[in-house]
Amino acid sequence: MKRFSEYNPIINFMFYIGAILFGMFFVHPVFLFVSLAFAITFHVTIKGRESFRFITGLIMFACFLAAINPLINSRGEKVLFTYFGGRPYTMEALLYGFAISMMFVAVIIWFSTYNRIMTSDKFLYIFGRIAPSSSTVLTMTLRFVPNYKNKIIQLSNSRSSIGLGISGDKKQKIENALMIISSLITWAFEGGIVTADSMKSRGHGTGERTAFALYSFEAKDKALLILIIVLELITLICGIKGAAETEYTPKLHIQSTNSGYFVVGIIAYTLLLVIPTILNIMEEIRWRVSRSRI
Amino acid sequence: MASFKIKNLNFYYPTSSDTPSLKNVNLDIEEGSYITVCGRSGSGKTTLLKHLKTVLTPHGKRSGEILFDGRPLETVGLREQSSRIGFVMQNPDSQIVTDKVWHELAFGLESLGMEKKAIRLRVAEMASYFGIQDWFHKDVSELSGGQKQLLNLASVMAMQPDVLILDEPTSQLDPIAASDFLNTVKKINLELRTTIVINEHRLEDILYASDKVVVMEDGMVQVEGKPREIGSRLKEINSQMFSMMPTPVQVFYGVKNEGSGGCPLTVREGGDWLSEIFAEKKPTETSIDRRDVATEKADRLLDTDPKDCPIVVKEGWFRYEKESPDVLKGVSLKVPPRSISAIVGGNGTGKSTFLKSITGVCKIYRGKILINGKKLDKYKYDELFRNNIAMLPQDPSNLFVKKTVREELEEMVSKGEAGKVEDMGKLCQIEHLYKSHPYDLSGGEQQRVALGKVLLTDPQILLLDEPTKGIDSFFKKTFAGILSELTKKGVTILMVTHDVEFCAKYADVVSMFFDGSVITTNLPHDFFSKNSFYTTAANRMSRHIFENAITDEDLIELCKRNM
Amino acid sequence: MQKKYVNKKNVITILVIFVLMPITLVASWYFGNRKYYLSSVLIMIYAMIPFFAGFERRKPEARDLVTLAVMSAIAAASRVAFIALPHFKPLVGITMISGMAFGPQAGFLTGAISGLVSNFIFGQGPWTPWQMFAYGMAGFISAWFFRLNIFDLNHKFRTAVISFLVVLGIIGPILDTCAVFTMAGEIDMKIVPAIYMSGIPVNIVHGTATALTLFFLGKPMMEKLDRIKIKYGMMETEEKVRVEEKNEVR
Repeated sequence: MKRFSEYNPIINFMFYIGAILFGMFFVHPVFLFVSLAFAITFHVTIKGRESFRFITGLIMFACFLAAINPLINSRGEKVLFTYFGGRPYTMEALLYGFAISMMFVAVIIWFSTYNRIMTSDKFLYIFGRIAPSSSTVLTMTLRFVPNYKNKIIQLSNSRSSIGLGISGDKKQKIENALMIISSLITWAFEGGIVTADSMKSRGHGTGERTAFALYSFEAKDKALLILIIVLELITLICGIKGAAETEYTPKLHIQSTNSGYFVVGIIAYTLLLVIPTILNIMEEIRWRVSRSRI
Repeated sequence: MASFKIKNLNFYYPTSSDTPSLKNVNLDIEEGSYITVCGRSGSGKTTLLKHLKTVLTPHGKRSGEILFDGRPLETVGLREQSSRIGFVMQNPDSQIVTDKVWHELAFGLESLGMEKKAIRLRVAEMASYFGIQDWFHKDVSELSGGQKQLLNLASVMAMQPDVLILDEPTSQLDPIAASDFLNTVKKINLELRTTIVINEHRLEDILYASDKVVVMEDGMVQVEGKPREIGSRLKEINSQMFSMMPTPVQVFYGVKNEGSGGCPLTVREGGDWLSEIFAEKKPTETSIDRRDVATEKADRLLDTDPKDCPIVVKEGWFRYEKESPDVLKGVSLKVPPRSISAIVGGNGTGKSTFLKSITGVCKIYRGKILINGKKLDKYKYDELFRNNIAMLPQDPSNLFVKKTVREELEEMVSKGEAGKVEDMGKLCQIEHLYKSHPYDLSGGEQQRVALGKVLLTDPQILLLDEPTKGIDSFFKKTFAGILSELTKKGVTILMVTHDVEFCAKYADVVSMFFDGSVITTNLPHDFFSKNSFYTTAANRMSRHIFENAITDEDLIELCKRNM
Repeated sequence: MQKKYVNKKNVITILVIFVLMPITLVASWYFGNRKYYLSSVLIMIYAMIPFFAGFERRKPEARDLVTLAVMSAIAAASRVAFIALPHFKPLVGITMISGMAFGPQAGFLTGAISGLVSNFIFGQGPWTPWQMFAYGMAGFISAWFFRLNIFDLNHKFRTAVISFLVVLGIIGPILDTCAVFTMAGEIDMKIVPAIYMSGIPVNIVHGTATALTLFFLGKPMMEKLDRIKIKYGMMETEEKVRVEEKNEVR
């Protein structure tokens, strides 16, 4: 067994396509609950205690958003109260606001784990074969950015140490900063020439290129990938067939939990989203057991 | 296996089509040999090296022939050249393409279209051979300069080249990283039989490993020969290049003046040679007597009343972030007026930060900094940097923003002060460069332009951060001349440097920086003769015989007196 | 020249426009009320594909890759220079200069890549494709405006004003649209104007930063890039002909 992040990046990526796209689609309360619940459990397996504060904060903010939704969206049948001399505050709008906010929270949490798991080199691994030139540009850009930030600070300090620094009004500050950018550009391109030479010197552009990565694709990866794709397809088909059909405003309509598509869909969806949490927990248990044996 | 034969090579850059950059160069590079190319900057060394690989060959007019393994180089396919001819360039940062160490190692192999499995093995091999395992997974931006250059070397070696060409690979590194790097290069030559062609200023670290030394001047091969002979050959034709030779060679010919064999190349050989000379006849004079000069100097430089010192730092403490460890730990220093003070010390001891604290870029959180007797934080920004304090950054190009050298200087003066620019051009010897683009200049020229720019603020206190980095010995001399000119005009100079030889020759006071503070300050002769590791080559070579020979000149003089 | 434009309409572009986009639209009707967000995101991604595909098909040389990476990295890193002015975002301005110097394709890619890379640093989110697209459009539009002489560096003020309007009228609203689709599930026509209105102050600041960047940096930077283009022949395949043509016209 491996932690979820240790599986091949293609698996990580396929999972997130499903989790995030479905997460943004389904507003059916049960689907929403599943998405939110497993986003949270996964987040906890990654960040531990730290994640509680993050999630409580998010949910409180979401509740606030839910509460103000009826103020901008007044459609709905069941009026809870009126304000401003008759503007209705409806139950449907409130529920709808609540659903959207929860969806929002779930997606943010999924993205938060995505940022931890899909590091830039995994991203490059996936797109390296589809778009080799663009991903070379991307890896170079990722390499240059910290370098340039550093240089900007150096340039700013150097100028500041001969009296060309930041003092005076906004106009001077902007001019000075733009001067630094201008200086950075010349320097960056001088370095860029060397980079290009270094690439050519190491055979770039002499013919077909392969894409190397440290990731391997084992039998385990294959099995998991197939599982994820199958679950995603089932969820997608059920979704298209209306498994999660829900309308909040103007009239509340939620797909019945007795519908066949709903049952199949929610089972597939749950199985899909629970994968990363389960893998991480199992790995954690194995680790503890093996350590306790020592 | 690979060899080069260069026949009658002439080359003109398009920009200067009347003066050749390479003139009638003939050179044989035998398989498995170690060739050192040296010469002052602008002598055509880099141009020559770049001709050894087609993709790097500059545009221009060319005649002559370069044979690689008996075939004209241009007929050798680019893919073959990529893998068989490895090239490491000067700037460690710019050569790196990807953002991860492991990916960089694989880059060349990917370009060659190698299979993933084969790359994996090769990369693993390289990481082990070069000791990269510990930082294999790191981001490139986390590495030190020395590590970056080692990574460049390893990622070239991953392609298993037959020839490795290195163009001033250590000019941007500190001395320890530089000699580590050069040791690795030697190891590659010895263990893998890779042919090495290297262009390098630090001859003391490579001369002994070389099979052949090629000295270039004005685009021509001036002298070519075995390392033990090269000194005498240069001496014979009275070449200026002789001054580039490392200390043992300088001293050997300074003392003997005749004969060619048996020239020592390393400190150890130099020491053995001295022992041999003085084996029977014990030296009568073992130290250069400087007492009378020294006491007077010491009074003036070391015991100056703090009131007269332009810079006084008392118990300064600094850290970058609230939670990070202290970088300056109670540092104290006073800098005597109208003198050149130097601070030496290893990497990461906080030397550069110390300079930044004096300009106020890094604000100390405890302690005091007095500039001309006034507290630093009492100064207004403009007041501090007008006619008062200025710093020359480590990388002179940090100050360049314009299209020409003249415009760079003019940025510093108000209109109608053109005379000042002219004077500065003269002082810094950059008048002939006015029309050039600052980035088209050599390291030494850039340095002087930046210095000119800095000096146009009329500083009374000049701070220098590693002023000799990447500069050849001729430029160093010119630079030192400008500095002493300035002290005569009343400027106080404080510099931070790794260059002990430069300090020994030109500084008035030397301080040692360690672990965030200055641990000792002394006159150069006392300072270096008391150290045993952190000292000049002349001292290390002669300390078992003489007490205080610091510079090559000292040592030559002492030898002569005792012979 | 003519031939090249025909070539650019390659298979992938056609595939995207005539197959993927309609499929997306149709598919999204089946899904309930979240269709707008998804279909808009997908359409935006499809809109970016031709640029990347065109770039790949050209088999760019090392120098072209470096040029793009340098410009994208400068655009992404440039904010550090404005620590003293936290709301000053020069990214779009620099992307526009890149577009002017290196052409529409490079301009678009500079914007898109710097958007993507910024998000690697600050965290990816549902906004990533929107930002990539919006910044890419900035580079693309500016390249065409430059070719059509709407952007003219000899008329700094005019160029600055127009760039301000581009941000206020196009780039800013694209970024705001992300908020429309993310925040509001059903497109309630009453909310939409409110969201766009609330974005205006931010867009004014953004536009001002862009205009100032072009005003002060436009000309010197183009001169620098021209020097680099001449000295090293970077990106010459696409743009050199253009520059020469333009000079001849003048």
